[in-house]
Amino acid sequence: MSAVLTVQDIHTFIGQFHILEGVTVEVPDHSITALLGRNGAGKTTTLRSIMGLNPPARGQIQYRGQALNGRKPYDIAQLGLGYVPDYRAIFRQLTVEENLKIAERRPGDLDRKRQFIFEIFPDLEKLYQWPGGQLSGGQQQMLAIARALVPDNSLLLIDEPSEGLAPVIIEGMMAAIRRLTAQAAVLLVEQNFRVASQLADRYVIIEDGRSVHSGTMPDLLASPALIQKYLSAA
Amino acid sequence: MRPTLRVNVFRQSLIVSGLFVLGLLVVNLAVFKPSTVAVVMLSGLYQGMLFFLIAAGMSIVFGLLDVLNLAQGAFFMLGAYAGFAIYGALPAGTPIEARFLAALLGAAVTGGLAGALMEVGLLRPLYARPVYQIVMTLGLSTALNEMVRAIYGPAGLVPIEEPPALATTFTVLGGQFETYRVFIIVVGAALMLGISLLLQRTRLGIIIRAGVQDSEMVQALGINVRRIFTLVFALGTAVAALGGMTAAPFLGAYPGMGTDFLLVAIIVIVIGGMSSYEGTAVASLLVGLTRATAEQISLQYFNTPILASVSILLFMVAVLLVRPTGLFGRE
Amino acid sequence: MTKASRSAGLIWLGLLAAALLIPYGFAALTGTPAQDAAGLAGWASAAAAAYCAKGPTPLVWLQAGLLAGLAAASLAGRRLGAWAEAVAGARGGYLTGLAALAALPFLIAAVTNSSACTRGQAFFWQAIFVDVFIMAILAISYNLMFGFVGVVSFGHAAFFGLGAYSVGLLMEHLGWPWWGAVLGALAISVAIALIKGFVGLRIRGLYFALFTLAFAQVFFLLAGNRLLVNVTGAEDGFTFAVPDFLNMTKNRLFFYYLGLAAMVLAFLVVRQLMRSPTGRVLVAVRDNENRAQMLGYNTFYFKLIAIVIAGVLAGGAGVLRGLSLKGASPEVLGLDFTMTPLIMTLVGGQATFVGPVLGAFGLHLLEDFLRDTVVTVAGVSINVGERWALILGVIFILIVIVFPYGIVGTVQNEWRKRRARRP
Ligand SMILES: Nc1ncnc2c1ncn2[C@@H]1O[C@H](COP(=O)(O)OP(=O)(O)O)[C@@H](O)[C@H]1O
Ligand SMILES: [Mg+2]
Repeated sequence: MSAVLTVQDIHTFIGQFHILEGVTVEVPDHSITALLGRNGAGKTTTLRSIMGLNPPARGQIQYRGQALNGRKPYDIAQLGLGYVPDYRAIFRQLTVEENLKIAERRPGDLDRKRQFIFEIFPDLEKLYQWPGGQLSGGQQQMLAIARALVPDNSLLLIDEPSEGLAPVIIEGMMAAIRRLTAQAAVLLVEQNFRVASQLADRYVIIEDGRSVHSGTMPDLLASPALIQKYLSAA
Repeated sequence: MRPTLRVNVFRQSLIVSGLFVLGLLVVNLAVFKPSTVAVVMLSGLYQGMLFFLIAAGMSIVFGLLDVLNLAQGAFFMLGAYAGFAIYGALPAGTPIEARFLAALLGAAVTGGLAGALMEVGLLRPLYARPVYQIVMTLGLSTALNEMVRAIYGPAGLVPIEEPPALATTFTVLGGQFETYRVFIIVVGAALMLGISLLLQRTRLGIIIRAGVQDSEMVQALGINVRRIFTLVFALGTAVAALGGMTAAPFLGAYPGMGTDFLLVAIIVIVIGGMSSYEGTAVASLLVGLTRATAEQISLQYFNTPILASVSILLFMVAVLLVRPTGLFGRE
Repeated sequence: MTKASRSAGLIWLGLLAAALLIPYGFAALTGTPAQDAAGLAGWASAAAAAYCAKGPTPLVWLQAGLLAGLAAASLAGRRLGAWAEAVAGARGGYLTGLAALAALPFLIAAVTNSSACTRGQAFFWQAIFVDVFIMAILAISYNLMFGFVGVVSFGHAAFFGLGAYSVGLLMEHLGWPWWGAVLGALAISVAIALIKGFVGLRIRGLYFALFTLAFAQVFFLLAGNRLLVNVTGAEDGFTFAVPDFLNMTKNRLFFYYLGLAAMVLAFLVVRQLMRSPTGRVLVAVRDNENRAQMLGYNTFYFKLIAIVIAGVLAGGAGVLRGLSLKGASPEVLGLDFTMTPLIMTLVGGQATFVGPVLGAFGLHLLEDFLRDTVVTVAGVSINVGERWALILGVIFILIVIVFPYGIVGTVQNEWRKRRARRP
C-alpha cells in the first residue's frame, strides 16, 4: 500500500506563534487516516498546512511524489486535493448547484459527477436550486463534502464532519465517507472518537503541535491507556 | 417553499426604493410643469447612469478585495483623456462615428490596462494592510490628476464632437432633451444588464460572488484568486474609463473631473450597501433622480444649483443613520 | 509716551501673559521639564514683543522681566535637577529643537543680514514657519484620530476650514472682539465635533470615514456657493480686519511665537492625553474595540472625547490660519486640508508624538525650498514648485508601500531591533 501523502516533520507559524512543532503524517491510498487529539492540538492547522493556506516554515510535504512546499493553495488543489474545512465554507449567496459548479476544474466535471453525488447525498437533489445560506447544518456539511467530489480528487482533507450534527445524520455522513475510499484517500479530523474509530483505518495523534503517536485503528482500540492519555476529555 | 429572511430584506429594500422614486415623482409633479418633469426625470436617469459606471467597479472590487478604490474617479478622467487622444490621433477623413467608437473602446482598454497595473503593482503589496490600501488609492488619485495636469495643462480639453446622429435634440411632453443623453442612458443600462448577467450567469460571476464571501475557500478549490482579483479590478476601472469617455462629448476632459464624480459614486455605494451590486445599481438611479430633482428645485427657487450636491450628501447621511450598512447592505 | 501706545502695550502684555501662562499653567499641572519648555515658548514671545516694540515701554520691560523671573525661579527652584536630566536624556532633543525654533528668527536675521521685525528675508521666513506651525497642529490633530484612536477621517478639513471661516465671520459680520471670535470659533469646533461624534461614531470604520468626507464636502460646497455670497464671498472668499497686535503684516515676529506656542501646546495636549488613563483606553479601542467594550469601557464616550479634542486642535489651527491671512476662502474646507495632514502624519510616523510635527516641517519646508527649483531629468525640465502636488502624491504612495511607519516609526523599530539583538 503506497502513501498518497507524506507529511514529514512540519513546523508552522501563524503570525509569531509557533503552532506546529513537528507533525509527521502518512496517508495510504484508498484508506481513511484519522488525525486525533484534543481541541487546539493543531489538527486544523495541519490540514491548512497541507493545503498551503498556512504554509509550513520547515519540513516536507509530498503528494504522490511531488513536493507541495512553496506551492500556492490553488496550485495544490489542482493536483487533486479536496478540502472540506471545519466551518464548511458554503457560499451562502450561491445555489447548491453553483456551490458545486465552482469546484469544477474542467468543464463538464459536475455533469459527470452529479449522479454519483446525488446517490451519496440524496438530499442535495431536491435542494439543488436553494441558496447555500438556507441549508441546515447537516445539509451544508453534505454540500461541503460533495463539493470536494466534483473534480477527480484523489485526496480529501475533511475537518470535523460530524461536528454539530444529529446522530441520525452522522450515520449517513459516515456511510458516505466510507464510500469515498473507493476513489480517494481521506485524511479525517474527528473529535468524536466513536465516529473516528469506526471510520478510520489508521490514526495519528497530535498533542501540542506535535504528532506523538500513530498506528492502525485496531491497535489504538486495544490500548485504553493511549486513549486515556491523549484523547480523554479531562 | 423558500421563505427566507434575506430575500425578504432584499424585497423590502426594493419596495422602499420604489416608493422613494414614486415620492420624487410626486414632488416633481407638484412643483414643476409636465415638460420640466420629463426633462428632470430623464436628466436624473442619465446622471444616475454615469454615477453607476464609476460606482459599479468600486462596489464589486470592494466586495471582493475589501479595497475602496478612491482612484476610481481618476480612471474616469483617464478614460476621457485616452479617448480624446485616440479620437485626435486617427487620420483626417475618418468618419466621426468610427472615431467616436474607437475612442470609447480605447478608453475602456486603457482604463483596464492601467487598472491591472495598479492592482498588481500597488495594491498587492498592501493586502495585509487594508487601511493603507485606501490611503494609497487616495494618493494615486492625486498623482494621476496631477500627472494629467502636468502633461495636458490645467485648462482641460474642449469637448469632442459626437456622431451627428447623437447631436440632435428631441421633445418629450414639450421639454427639450438632447439625444446624446439618451445614448448615455442606453450605454449605462446595457452595462448594468451586462454586468448583472456576468455575475449571475457565468463562471467568473460565480467565482466573484463566492469570493466576496470567502476568497480563501475559493482558492482552496483550485482557483487562482489573485488573477481573478486583477481581472475584476481591471474590469471595474475599464467601465469607469468608458464612463469618462462617454461623458466627454459634453463634459470635455479636465484634471479633477473624476473627483466630483468620485464623491457621488461614494455616496451611491454607501447608500446601496457598499458591496451589493444590486444596491449600487438601484442607488445610482435613486441618487441621479434625487440630484436632478433637487437641482431643478434649487434653480427654480434660489437661482443656484446648490441643493443638487447637498441633497445627495444629506440623502447619504440619512440612509446611514437609519441603516448603517446601506439600503441593500448585509449584517 | 502716548495714550494709544500705552493701551496697545497693555493689550500686548495681556496676550503675552496668556501665551505664557496657558502652556505654563499646563506644565504646572503635570510638571515635567518638557512642559516647562512650553512656558519658555511663551516667554520667548514676551521677549519678542519687547524686542520689536521699538523703544519698549518701561511697563513692557517690567512685565516681561517679571514673567522671566517667574519662569527662572521655577526652573531654579523646583526643577533644576529634572532639567539637567532632561537635557541629557531623551527629551534633550525636544528641548534643543524648541530652543532652535525660538532662536530661529534671529538666526535668520543674522545670516541674511536683515531685521527680524521689519520687511525682509527674516520676515519672509517667519511667515513660512507660521504656516509650518499651523500645518503641524493640524497634523497633530489628525494623528490623534488616525494614529492613536485608529479612526480614519476624510473630513478633517471641516474643522480647519470652519475655524478659519468662523473667526473671520464673527469679527467681521457680528463685530465680536478678537478674543470673543477666537473662543466662538473654538466653541463651534466643539459643536461640530459633537455632531460628528454623536451622529457619525455610531457608524464604524470605513463608513465613518465616508461620512466625514460627505460632512466636510457639504461645508465646502456651501462656502463656495453664490447663495451666501454677501457673507462668505463665495468662491473668492472674504477678508477681515484683525487688531494690530495680531496683524501678521505688522507684528510678524509676535505671530511667529504665537504659532510656536500653539504648536507646542497642541503637542503637549495630545501627549498628555495619550499618557493618561483615557489615552490607554483609546489605544485599546484602536487595537480591538470589541474587547475594550467587553472590559466594560463605554468606547463611544472615549472616542467622543478624542474627536472633541482633535476638533478643537484642528479648529484652532484654522483660527490661526484665518488670522494670519486675515481672510478665508473655500480651499480651507477642501480635500487638500484633509490629505495634507494625512500625508504629514504618514511621513512623520503615525501614532508617534513627534512624527506629525516632523512630517509637517519636512514636507512644508521641502515645498518652500524647492519652490523655484527646476530639475532636468533626461532632457525634461520639471519645475518642482509647479508639480508639487504630483510629487506629494508620489511620496504618499511610496511612503505607504515602503515606509508604512513613517520616519519616526521606522527609526524606532530599527532602534528596538538593534537593542533586542544586544543581549
Ligand atoms: N489565527 C490564529 N492565530 C493564533 N493562534 C491560532 C490561530 N489559529 C489557530 N491558532 C492556535 O493554534 C492552535 C491549534 O489550532 P487548531 O489547529 O485549530 O487546533 P485543532 O484543530 O486541533 O483544534 C490552537 O492553540 C489555536 O489557538
Ligand atoms: Mg480544528
